[in-house]
Amino acid sequence: MEIFSLLFNGIAEATAVTTLLATAFGAIIGLIIGALPGLGPTAGVAIMLPVAIGFGGVPALACLAGVYYGAMFGGAVTSILLGIPGDAPSVMTVLDGHPMAKKGEAGRALGMSVFASFFGGMIGLLGLVVLSIPIANAALAFGPTEMTALMCLALSLASVLGGRNPFKAFVALALGFWLGMVGLDPIAGPIRFNFGFIELFDGLDFPVIAVGLFGLTAMYTSFGSEVKKEAASFKYSNLFPRLKDAISAKWVLLQGAVIGVFVGVLPGVGATSATMMSYALAKRISKNGDQFGTGVPEGVAAPEAANNSASYSSMIPLFTLGIPGSATTAVMMGGLLMLGLQPGPLLFSNNGDFIWTVFGSFWIGNLMLVFLTLLLTPLLASILFVSTALLYPAVFATVIFGVFAIEYSMSGVFITILAGIFGLILQKLDYPPVPLILGLIIGPMLERNIRRTLIQSEGDLAVFVERPIALTLFLLTAIVLLLPVLKRLLNSRSKPVSPDPAQEIQSKT
Amino acid sequence: MNCFGLSTIRKATTATGLAMAASLLVATAEPAAAEYPEEDIQMIIPFGVGGGSDTLARTIANVIAELELLPVSIQPENRPGGSGAIGYTSVAEERGNPNVIATVSVSFFTTPLRGASPVSYKDFTPLAAISISPYIMAVASDSPLKSLDDVKSAGRLTTATVGAVSDPSLLAALTTKALDVKIDPVPFDGEGEALAAALGGHVDFVFMNPSEVLQQIEAGAMRPLAVSTANRISVLPETPTFKELGYDIEHAQLRGLVMPADVPAEAVAYWEGILKQVADSDAWREQYIERYLDEPAFLPSADYQKKIEEMNSGYKSLMEELGLL
Repeated sequence: MEIFSLLFNGIAEATAVTTLLATAFGAIIGLIIGALPGLGPTAGVAIMLPVAIGFGGVPALACLAGVYYGAMFGGAVTSILLGIPGDAPSVMTVLDGHPMAKKGEAGRALGMSVFASFFGGMIGLLGLVVLSIPIANAALAFGPTEMTALMCLALSLASVLGGRNPFKAFVALALGFWLGMVGLDPIAGPIRFNFGFIELFDGLDFPVIAVGLFGLTAMYTSFGSEVKKEAASFKYSNLFPRLKDAISAKWVLLQGAVIGVFVGVLPGVGATSATMMSYALAKRISKNGDQFGTGVPEGVAAPEAANNSASYSSMIPLFTLGIPGSATTAVMMGGLLMLGLQPGPLLFSNNGDFIWTVFGSFWIGNLMLVFLTLLLTPLLASILFVSTALLYPAVFATVIFGVFAIEYSMSGVFITILAGIFGLILQKLDYPPVPLILGLIIGPMLERNIRRTLIQSEGDLAVFVERPIALTLFLLTAIVLLLPVLKRLLNSRSKPVSPDPAQEIQSKT
Repeated sequence: MNCFGLSTIRKATTATGLAMAASLLVATAEPAAAEYPEEDIQMIIPFGVGGGSDTLARTIANVIAELELLPVSIQPENRPGGSGAIGYTSVAEERGNPNVIATVSVSFFTTPLRGASPVSYKDFTPLAAISISPYIMAVASDSPLKSLDDVKSAGRLTTATVGAVSDPSLLAALTTKALDVKIDPVPFDGEGEALAAALGGHVDFVFMNPSEVLQQIEAGAMRPLAVSTANRISVLPETPTFKELGYDIEHAQLRGLVMPADVPAEAVAYWEGILKQVADSDAWREQYIERYLDEPAFLPSADYQKKIEEMNSGYKSLMEELGLL
């Protein structure tokens, strides 16, 4: 196929020394920025923009993209080791990655995340190279109506993440929705719930809340507990990655990567939602579904495969149509402009060689990251041998620095500290933090798209069922919600035993 | 801050009569120009790294450095937050300090109008505007709208804007009035999303800057109907202006710089000179105008002041119509 010969040419071109160095430089910086709590790919690419532009041409873009996908690899590191999401798309990795680390399987979890990132990256790249034009056109078919339906489907899938008490899960979800509304109402214009603070005008930054709610809460909890030296009981072999985990999680990896490609390409949706859908779907389809959240490798595989494939597919609209669909790709588009390229539908025909070489650098970068992170895994995993009495103060300082560096302002630092205290209160009252995070991510998208749809339709609700894609997604939502109920009905008819209380609760959520 | 000559002049101007001040100005014009600026210039960017405002500010700083127009250097600094309120407030608080500059953006007007900032355009001294970002009204190429006549007879249309209060929503309101057609703006979260909505046929048309939409037009994916400037723009010489077609719509974003209020007149004159040189330079043309497809322009301080007042009242009436004030 012509595409593959173009790609192999591109890979060959990308082995030029300057490009290789730029790719490695970008990937390593991305790894570090991704691992720094609070700082994610958007901040990373923006920070590196002036440096990368100095490289000129292909190396500049190879470096910027390296920062982007490197951050996707790096985000998992702190999520797993410390339970602090390194960036927004690795929040879901905390759920199983950190319990694994606590069980002494940090290396195994890190290894799983590396394999998943690599696999997701490869699928994402395949999508970028082979299917970019049909995928980009399909993404255009998603208007506000379709987005609304997709968000409903995401919420229905994610209902398995609510935990045991549906009431508390709904309360947490509603709190997330509410927090998502803070700041400027993007549709009608007024300011909501900022309580007079101009710092809240632009709303709450998701990573700031997530870092506080997961990371700081865990540290605050540790204030009240005795420092134990459980590390001695960890098995040495568990510091190393296991390829076997990746092989047994192959279907989870595949579904995660595919969800990543399709969700990542949609303008304004992004990698974080993809990880949520992937994790929730994996929990539903996996045989170990009920073990998710206790520290199973598949729970790491699902979000990590999704966020890496989404990072590549989010570049599809940028390169094929000239549309930046996310904050990170918007900064990259700024980079293209600074390099004197005009992003748009003609980019491929006008600068084909350039683009193929950049794509080539992506494959090389992805490979580099695998070896780099696999080599680093035992080293990183042994951080758990360090006593929390020494580790947490250093981590706390790093978190504060990372959050400060997002906007160079103290307001983010205060918000993250408050979010940590708030998380502690939720924990004491036994409210799950995951639905809150979910509400904070999905809530604003759901709200905006419902309101956009209703502006377009002049308030007519029929549009939601008149458009085929939206209708299909709504039907899927209904199936996802009704399936547990149907299952239970069938079960009770065939063998009338006393219903499992856990399952009963789950079907209600 | 501590340029002795300037602060003396400032005191003299306020303390004594106009004639006295004028004679002092004449007497000290030469040494003052030589002395100012003696400190590095702080350039506050009220938005994050990598955005449009950031690029504009840093390009101006680059061009000035490349052409060695200043004896001191410019230190760009991002102070994002509060939709510009935090950065602009920190500039306005430096009242009288001629060593602080900032670029103007839509939020420069709209955030204070919402009452969300303690300062407004009145707390700044305009220096000069050095380019114009026109807006192009464009439709997807498979749209039935071929001309403004089609738009006029459409009855009801939708357009994608970025945010509820922005140039495209202001232009939509102007179009509604001038063409007597109902237009509902649908606010999206970024130019990319808005463009995708137009290309996907989810809205009928968009108002966008050339750098956002010209590539789509050249690729045949979108079709321009009219431009929002007083004259036709160089990148789309075939596309008529609204005025030519008989509709009184003219609105474009001016790219310019401001200082805090009450800075000495010499500093303003000095920067007018610097910015005139920037606007006329090849470096500016190559690094900004051609790259971001803006129209070259130069408006000295007084004209820019007038435009800023006009734009402020434009946004104000838009926000009144939207019920935000």
